[in-house]
Amino acid sequence: MAASDSGDTSLLSIVLFAVEEKNVYENLKIRSHLHLLHRHRRSHKPAMADEDETLSLRTLCTMRSLLLHPSTSKRTVSHILQTLTSSPHPTPHSLKLLSDAAALHPDLAPSAALPAAQSHPHLAVEAIGSALSGLHLDDARFTSLCFGTSVPARAWMLRNAGLSFKVRPGLLLAVLLGFTKDPYPYVRDAALEGLVGFSERGGELKDVGLVDACYRRAVQLLRDVDPCVRLSAVRVVASWGMMLAASNSDTKAYWSNDVFAKLCSMARDMNMKVRVEAFNGLGKMEMVSEDLLLQSLSKRVSGRGKQKETVDQRTSEQFVMLASSVAGALVHGLEDEFFEVRKSVCESLRTLTSLSAEFAREALDSLMDVLNDDSPVVRLQALETMYQMAINGRLKLHEKHFHMFLGALVDNSWDVRYTYRKILKVMKLNNLALFKSSNDRLLQNLDSYPQDEADVFSTFSHLGRNHKKFVSMIMKDTFEEVETALEGNVEFDSARIAALLILSISAPLLDADVGRIPPVMFSYAVTFLGRIYNAFSDIMDRDALLACLCEKSRSTEYSASNINLGEGEQQLPLFEGDAPNVATNEVIDLHITREPKELANHQIEQQQSVHDDVINFANYILAKPPDMWPSIQSGHTNEVLRSLRCLKELTTMKLGSSGYADADADALAFTILYLRVVVLLAEVWELLLPAKGLRSQRIGKLEFKLGKLDRRVKELISRFIGFSAEEELNLLELMLLTCALRICKNEIICLNHTFKRLSTLYSRVETILKESSALRSNFVVELGKVLSTVSINGASCSPFQFDACLKFFSLKQFVFHGSIKHVNAELSIPNNDMEHPLPFVSGLPVGVPCEITLHNILSESKLWLRMALDDGFIQHVFLDLDRFEGSEDVRKFTFVAPFYRTAEAYCLALKVCIGLECLFENVGPVQREEIPVGGEDKDNFLPFHSCSNPNSLRLKMMSTWEPVEIEVKRSDLSIIARCHGFPMVGFRLRIPVRIC
Amino acid sequence: MNKQKQAYRELEASCAPPGSDVGLHLLGGSARCSVGLRATASMAIETLVLGAGQEVGKSCVVVTINGKRIMFDCGMHMGFLDHRRYPDFTLIDPNQDFNSAITCIIITHFHLDHVGALAYFTEVCGYNGPIYMTQYPTKALAPLMLEDYRKVMVDRRGEEELFSVDQIAECMKKVTAVDLRQTVKVDEDLQIRAYYAGHVIGAAMFYAKVGDAEMVYTGDYNMTADRHLGAAQIDRLRLDLLITESTYATTIRDSRYSREREFLKAVHLIGIEYLESAGLGIFVYKVHKCVSCGGKVLIPTFALGRAQELCILLEDYWERMNLKVPIYFSAGLTIQANAYYKMLISWTSQKIKDTYSKHNAFDFKNAPHSSSLDVTVQKFERSMIDAPGPCVLFATPGMISGGFSLEVFKHWAVSENNLVTLPGYCVAGTIGHKLMSDKQAKVDLDANTKLDVRCQVHQLAFSPHTDSKGIMDLVNFLTPKHVILVHGEKHKMASLKEKIHSELGIQCYDPANNETISISSTHYVNAETSDTFDRSCLSPNFTFPKCSSVDTCNSTIMDKNLMPMIQVEDERVSEGVLVVEKGKKAKIVHQDELLLMLGEQKHQHDTMSWTL
Repeated sequence: MAASDSGDTSLLSIVLFAVEEKNVYENLKIRSHLHLLHRHRRSHKPAMADEDETLSLRTLCTMRSLLLHPSTSKRTVSHILQTLTSSPHPTPHSLKLLSDAAALHPDLAPSAALPAAQSHPHLAVEAIGSALSGLHLDDARFTSLCFGTSVPARAWMLRNAGLSFKVRPGLLLAVLLGFTKDPYPYVRDAALEGLVGFSERGGELKDVGLVDACYRRAVQLLRDVDPCVRLSAVRVVASWGMMLAASNSDTKAYWSNDVFAKLCSMARDMNMKVRVEAFNGLGKMEMVSEDLLLQSLSKRVSGRGKQKETVDQRTSEQFVMLASSVAGALVHGLEDEFFEVRKSVCESLRTLTSLSAEFAREALDSLMDVLNDDSPVVRLQALETMYQMAINGRLKLHEKHFHMFLGALVDNSWDVRYTYRKILKVMKLNNLALFKSSNDRLLQNLDSYPQDEADVFSTFSHLGRNHKKFVSMIMKDTFEEVETALEGNVEFDSARIAALLILSISAPLLDADVGRIPPVMFSYAVTFLGRIYNAFSDIMDRDALLACLCEKSRSTEYSASNINLGEGEQQLPLFEGDAPNVATNEVIDLHITREPKELANHQIEQQQSVHDDVINFANYILAKPPDMWPSIQSGHTNEVLRSLRCLKELTTMKLGSSGYADADADALAFTILYLRVVVLLAEVWELLLPAKGLRSQRIGKLEFKLGKLDRRVKELISRFIGFSAEEELNLLELMLLTCALRICKNEIICLNHTFKRLSTLYSRVETILKESSALRSNFVVELGKVLSTVSINGASCSPFQFDACLKFFSLKQFVFHGSIKHVNAELSIPNNDMEHPLPFVSGLPVGVPCEITLHNILSESKLWLRMALDDGFIQHVFLDLDRFEGSEDVRKFTFVAPFYRTAEAYCLALKVCIGLECLFENVGPVQREEIPVGGEDKDNFLPFHSCSNPNSLRLKMMSTWEPVEIEVKRSDLSIIARCHGFPMVGFRLRIPVRIC
Repeated sequence: MNKQKQAYRELEASCAPPGSDVGLHLLGGSARCSVGLRATASMAIETLVLGAGQEVGKSCVVVTINGKRIMFDCGMHMGFLDHRRYPDFTLIDPNQDFNSAITCIIITHFHLDHVGALAYFTEVCGYNGPIYMTQYPTKALAPLMLEDYRKVMVDRRGEEELFSVDQIAECMKKVTAVDLRQTVKVDEDLQIRAYYAGHVIGAAMFYAKVGDAEMVYTGDYNMTADRHLGAAQIDRLRLDLLITESTYATTIRDSRYSREREFLKAVHLIGIEYLESAGLGIFVYKVHKCVSCGGKVLIPTFALGRAQELCILLEDYWERMNLKVPIYFSAGLTIQANAYYKMLISWTSQKIKDTYSKHNAFDFKNAPHSSSLDVTVQKFERSMIDAPGPCVLFATPGMISGGFSLEVFKHWAVSENNLVTLPGYCVAGTIGHKLMSDKQAKVDLDANTKLDVRCQVHQLAFSPHTDSKGIMDLVNFLTPKHVILVHGEKHKMASLKEKIHSELGIQCYDPANNETISISSTHYVNAETSDTFDRSCLSPNFTFPKCSSVDTCNSTIMDKNLMPMIQVEDERVSEGVLVVEKGKKAKIVHQDELLLMLGEQKHQHDTMSWTL
């Protein structure tokens, strides 16, 4: 405890100082120090320390605590600094403290530290460094420190000169240049690094002579004994050489070549880092003569410069001079022992190949060889370089490259394969053979690494788009393969077929001219929609793709002259926009009935951990749209749409990424649908904005969008079950909004109908609000006010009142609790193909065996099968769920559906889909809710008798999510239906029927 | 410490005005400086070439520097069986007193043409001085090589024994092992240091310094890395002499990649006859072709080096191409050698070093442990010789002179499906030699048995030597004052000599055997310095004199008077004046002091002074 060390006399004086500071006295526990002080007073006279005493650790500790304390006064601090610097024998500890002190109190540091630096040349550099950093050092001081006898200080000053203090550039440069001659290698190194820093900071230099001098000095130092000096010299040669070249456009070529040669000459340095740096430097070249570039690929010195009667005698003279130092530099680099060097060479080739086409061609040979390198990092870099070359149009493949180039596709590194495909996406293949083998290799890639599927598909899509001509040249084969695979219903490689389809359809997708692509390819593609749409995500989303495919598949431009299509083949009619929803029914008193939400909740608690992940993800996504609402209102629709699409993409990817439990997939499906609704809402809102005005064209668009919005919202609420009150409220509010929008914007004709819907919905909202504790939103409140003022049939209702309500609407966050289930159904007709037709007798009913899988369909639900003939006849068959076994979660059964109208036709096409009777909202006696059929569609045939007739109609099971609106009346067993408008979507089947 | 040393050396470099024979050499501490004066002809480096002068074989060079005599390598010539087999040691010392004539022997690597005569020289000729070679590889493998050679000579050919097993062991006891980059003080004046040379495992270049004279003897080296060895590595040194091999004095080799590319392509186009002399490519291609036809491949090899390289190559290829054909190592020496290789990872290429922690490249994947990999390198049992199905077998000895490789050869040679690869060189009298000279032939196994050889025969062509570009690069990098070429063919060496002289401006020699080359060496004289001079040395004092661009040799390219050239000169050291007074130690003083001194010593006429 006793401070026996004589150094504590300094402590004494410091503590004396400190004690004078009242606040310090209070805040800092300095009592003990005071105690010490008294003890010292007894033994020592309070005087400054002796000349040769050192500061004890204890003293230093106290000093440190005083320095660190924020309320220590400036006087105390400067006193401490003084004590530290005047200490004649600085220890590492005291120097460390000094440097810390200087960093903590930069304002006080210079006065203290500078004298120290001068009077004690052996003072550690770091201490001076921190003391000086951050303060303005005038030129005189800078030079005096540099020219002082302390070598470490000199090195430190040079290293930090440019960064820390503002020395006049001219002076700085002179000092840096001068010290490149220093006998100490690390001073030379520091000086060179300083020069690099100088050029990196973009130091303006008018004096070309000085640039020249620096460059030449660095060139001399390339042969330095010390590797670290050589390393920095390479950097200076690269950066100052470029400056020198840039200084005069007349001599630019000359100096660029010179720099190139100097850097190349370092390719055989014995130090790996020097080599890496040399090649890094090459990667920055802006201009090099072609002869030199080519020379760098050949170890033999060629007479190229001489042979070519160059216009410019200078250049050839220079070539002769430089050729031997350039010779083979890049080849040496590529076969270097160290992968760092090889990688750096590949990187530099990226720039160099852009300088000369001839060189790019030659370098490609070497680069191809690198694909055989044993380091994946190098292989990857080589591919990246090729990618860059492809973008620059420098990637010209020859036959001899095929093998090596395409081999990369089956590389076992994912990155390598990915980068390779990236190249394929952008490059232009110049002959059919290469195109074909690329396709083969891609398919092989797909085969060996199924996990690459998404990207391979996308590559096919790009390949197709970039090579329309080749696509049409191989179309015949492709078509045959696809057709055989799909018709045969044998085990086929569906990934392969999907890939071929993508390749075929991608070319004409954006083009009006379908060319020689059989339209049926587009129809096939529709069946793979779920799998392939990601391949086109860069140009269109799934819906757009579907629309596009549908449109193309109806194309008549194609003549089936060379491809054998059935004569009876017709393209499937697909959904156009919806017919306007004309209310014909007056019944309005339907109650919205929802099943108790608790029903399905219990199962979800299992698999909670995985599930939570997905729920969190869904909630994360769903939290975004409310934030966007202000932007939507202010008309920044494009930004909003962009981000919404991103979110949608994200969710889709998540959904597609792996096999989730049902509940998780349901949550994601819901999220996607919800985002779609928000997209539509944003689009509609944009059209509503007053600034834009309602032109006639706009009104049409608005109507269309509103219709779509309406359907989507309905889909949202009826395709999912298990909503909590809060969740349902959220959705109902969306529905209310939709109705309100329709009323005030375009639904003059069916005002009454919409108004009734609105009232019904509102009463449902009221009910929920009463049951739960949820708060009414402003929008609902306002809407309630409006509704209370208008009469029950809406006669006196004015659109403007609703218009006012709209302003109160704001998007609420939909918070997922994880109990939502997706109502879904799948339908397939088994065992029917060409060889196994379904016989029928004209005029008698025929049984159609349907394999049906139902997900999350409550036993109270009413399901219908809808069978449609081409001529528009539609028959509905009721599915009595009580007759089938299975839980509500999943039901799987076979149902033989009777079809009555077997006309006297050669063959019939029958479309079958399954639908759910939707008992809520709307005005019809019965409502239908669509049930989509999942993505595992296969082509189905349902012919009668054995059918070897090639003209028999093809059956297409269409997977489409577009609703058809129809209305159905039900008698006991058979259904008489009229088409007039409610959503029904699903599985379509064409049944070719032949008369016996 | 090292850094400081280098600093001083650099100071010397930067101070010595080009072309002048005077250099300043700062030696530790600010108080003492020494100035070097280049020595006169009496301080010469003498190089006596005892072997490998204008030929390949029996490398042996005796260098005398500043009174020390070092013998670099002590090899034998494989092509001769008479007295020409060994270097003519009598030239070293007519009295045969080698112990006093030679300071030490340095062996660069374990190949017989570099170490073959060692046991003879020590045990028969009676040299007892120190021998230096690299730690494990050379010291451990050299006796194996010597013993192998002795066996072939004595047991098979029935020649007179030149040295016995015991003598080999005795000889090895005199060996001191050195590590790479370790500086060894042989005696007070002689320092040696080994640098990595590639070529073969354990191969080193040796740097030797006596007083101020420095030299490097390269032995065999390779400037480009191959699959298992790295490229040669050396510091930039200030050498008086570089003695380099020149096996490929005029060849410029293609990139390693292009050789590999050809074979990979060939492998994929199986059935297309491919004619390319590149070693690796055709080898793997043939092996692949053979095993894909269900044939067996016999690769008789020496235990070391080549077997590992081939195995790494094949294994890599097997893995890529997903081949399942097993690769076997015959029990015995090869497996043992693999064990050595595993120990010697620091001698291998960077890639193997890098991946060592994860997977030892010489740990050729043994089946039971790596189920995920189908490539297997396994031990071969005798019973497997006649087992059906394709396989690849590495077996010793390399020239099918007997042992296991001969046994397997007897079984496999009769089928056209099989393949035998031979090393680049086979001693006459071995089956390998016969196969090489006449590929499809009947081979007499012994007096009674003739073997009808139907299998395919492939001769390996590998080269672990650097090419002419590599030699030029090394010479350029080291920039010695003199170069001596050894270990090459006469006319090619002459052309390389000319090239080094004309392109690099370095004096170059290509002595024949038993010739002596004498060159001048550096010698420094210590001098004292005055305090004023010391002080001025410590403070930088540079100027930027401008001069017109006379030294730009590209007079047509740049305008002569375009800009004045700025140069940097640091005056702090050029201010000194060296004063040598008769009978006193040389002294350096500051130029201001000189006048004073001159005033004092007017009467002394024998004072010399240089302005540095």
